[in-house]
Amino acid sequence: MEMKTRVAGDVHILEIAGRFDTNTVPPVAAWLEQVTAAPKARVLVNLAETTFVDSTALATLVQALKRCQQVQGDLCVCSLRRPVYMIFELTRLDKAFNIFVDEEHALQALIS
Amino acid sequence: MSLQHPEVVRLDLPARYTYLHILSDCIADMLRQIDGIEDHEMLTYNMQLAAHEACTNIVGHAYAGSQSGNERIVISLALFPHPRRLQIELRDTGRSFDPEEVPTPTLDQAQVHGYGLFLMRNLMDSVTYTPQPGDNHWCLVKHL
Repeated sequence: MEMKTRVAGDVHILEIAGRFDTNTVPPVAAWLEQVTAAPKARVLVNLAETTFVDSTALATLVQALKRCQQVQGDLCVCSLRRPVYMIFELTRLDKAFNIFVDEEHALQALIS
Repeated sequence: MSLQHPEVVRLDLPARYTYLHILSDCIADMLRQIDGIEDHEMLTYNMQLAAHEACTNIVGHAYAGSQSGNERIVISLALFPHPRRLQIELRDTGRSFDPEEVPTPTLDQAQVHGYGLFLMRNLMDSVTYTPQPGDNHWCLVKHL
């Protein structure tokens, strides 16, 4: 797994390439915990290059979403590959997260 | 390839998260040989995820707190031609548990725990767990 982070405006963006699973979650969880601590934190997780997401990775995203909501912020995900999106659907997490087709649309929603 | 005979792959992995990608790769390689699967990408992903969740359960729960360094997951993957199916068996020597005591996640609200077993049951046609001291046994079956 490779993770890249950057900032666009006041949105913290995380790109995850490869497997996002129990084995690779710790650095992602640590980064999410850090950025979601700030008031009104805005976070975008780009899963375009994420090939595998397991239940621990889902739980990590849910925890980050809940932390964001506690500080009146927002966390979105974008660019999910079809099998990954299906897992969001199966667990109904597609209802909990704002999911966008690409980064451009996600940023428009987060910045507006 | 049209399958004429059962094809079996056996793995004996240290019970560590770092090796679980080997199981995923193996499932992809096995399914890649099969012709006539409607949605190959989805099927492969779903099989990989179900097997992965069984392994993370073994590492995280069955072997929780174990530090001998000898904890293993013994895996048998079998492709059967009639009826065509993939059967994944996993064995561990750790603590057993009662799957019926694991609460089903409340899907109306995002959960932090409980998706693992839910995913396994929903992605496979059959998931059985047989607890036995020193030889817990998972059997996951998907018809192809």
